[in-house]
This record gives sequence, C-alpha cells and structure tokens, in this order.
Amino acid sequence: MGKFIKWGLPALALAVLAAGWWLGLAWAPPDREMGDVQRIMYVHVPLQWVAMVAMAINFVVAIGYLMKASWKLDATAEASAEIGLVLGTAGMITGAIWGRPTWGVYWSWDPRLTSQAIMLVTYTGYLVLRRFVEDPEKRATWSAVVAIIGAINLPIVWFSVRWWRSLHQVQSTPKTVDPEMTLALRVSAFGMLFLTIWFLVQRYRQALAERQAEVALPDALPSDLAAAGGANSSRVA
Amino acid sequence: MMMLSTQWLWLLAAAPGQVGSGRIVGGWGYVWACYGITVAMLVLYAVSLWARRPKAPTDAKE
Repeated sequence: MGKFIKWGLPALALAVLAAGWWLGLAWAPPDREMGDVQRIMYVHVPLQWVAMVAMAINFVVAIGYLMKASWKLDATAEASAEIGLVLGTAGMITGAIWGRPTWGVYWSWDPRLTSQAIMLVTYTGYLVLRRFVEDPEKRATWSAVVAIIGAINLPIVWFSVRWWRSLHQVQSTPKTVDPEMTLALRVSAFGMLFLTIWFLVQRYRQALAERQAEVALPDALPSDLAAAGGANSSRVA
Repeated sequence: MMMLSTQWLWLLAAAPGQVGSGRIVGGWGYVWACYGITVAMLVLYAVSLWARRPKAPTDAKE
C-alpha cells in the first residue's frame, strides 16, 4: 500500500490526467459558440471541483477536531486547506484567462468570481493564522473555528451562479453538453482527483510529523506549557 | 425617417436568430496558457512537497 501511494498513485494520476486532457484537447468537439477556447474547461473545472473537495474535507475535519482533538485531524485540516488554496488559485487563474476571450475581460466583480476570491482570501488567512500561533493546541482549535466559519462561503461559491445574475454560466450537466465533452471532463476530473489525493497524503504526513515533533520537543512549545510538563502537557491524541 | 424605422424593424426581427449564432475563432493561445500555468503550478507544488518531506532521524539506524 505504501509503494502504491508513493509511486503508483502519482503515476495513475498523471496517466489519467494526461488521457483526460488529450481527450479534451484533441478528441472532444469544439463548443458551438466558444469554439476551441472552451477546451479550457477540461483544466478549469476539475481544478475548481477538487479545490472544493479539499476545502470540504477541511471543514469536516475541523468539526471533527473540535469534537475529538486529534493531531491526525489537525494535520489533515492543514493539508487540505493548503492544497485547496493552491488548486483554487490555479482554478481562478485559468478562469480569468478563459474570461478574456469569452467575456472580454479577465476579471469582473460578479457573484461567482467575488465569492471565489473571498474563499481564497479566507483560506490564505487560515494558513497565515496557523503560521502565527505557536502553541499547537491553540493553533489547532483556532484554525478549526476559522475553517468552519470560512466553509460558510463554500455553498455560496457553488450556488452563486444560480442564486444571482452572474456573468459566469450555470453548471453544465451531461444533458446539456456533448457526450464526448462529458467523457473528457470526467476523465480529467478523476486524474485531478487522484493527484489531489496524492498531494493530500504527502502533505498530511509532513504536517503530522511537524505536530509530533512540536509536541515531543518541549523547547518548541510556549514557555508556560513547557514548564508545565512539556511533551506530556498535550491533551491532544 | 421611414427608412430608419424599417431598418430598426428588420434588425429586431433578425435579432433572435442572431443571438448565440456567433462563434469565437482561434484562441488556442488562451488554451495553452491555461494548461501551461496549471502544469507549472502543479509541478512547483510537487517540488515544494518534496523539499518539505519529513526527514528521517539521523540516529534511526543506530
């Protein structure tokens, strides 16, 4: 299992992603109105989907941490927030580039784009908070609260195109697009999902190792906690 | 004046058929830019993960 995660999963992810992108770039038909520019969909939409998945994971583990404190949940929260931010930023950049030929502008303060920007700023703040708080337990608790508050925006981002008049189109469904487009999009999305899972596993291991090192070394803790017992002062499993 | 009104009526009648009938031509530069930036970001993030990988303790074999 360890070898599969280390080598098999990234190889599978890259192979599926390459296949999906090839299908999207060379096999699927161009859009009726957007022409070949629509092929950006096969990179933009999977990025946004997996970014939302990562942030949803962040929300779930944040609730889990507040219910039962665990370094594993905290490490998962840190990993998912960072990866969600990276993928969401890439999604926003590709969306802006797609906007230029279709809308005439790279950026517009419309509901979808604005809520997405707020989402990225929120998760940037979340990661900054984690950097600033030295005490691992306080960091985990405070960032879990911020994660839950930040997650309020996730459904707003998703449904913004339906709730308000948005320049951004409403989500397509398999019924509204060519079946060949659906296949290329699904394959690309699975490739991006596998890559995200691999990123999550790697980042989770790093974060967990950092937490364990922090708790194991009394010097790494704030002086009051270290004086109170250092390594044994942590109440987190 | 009459000519102008006729032209407007003709345009109004033709408008529904014209909506959505245009098509963007070309634009591959935007497509390649999106894929290139995404690949660059994914590679950079993978490299950052590799650079931050947990180091095995030096005394692990002792």
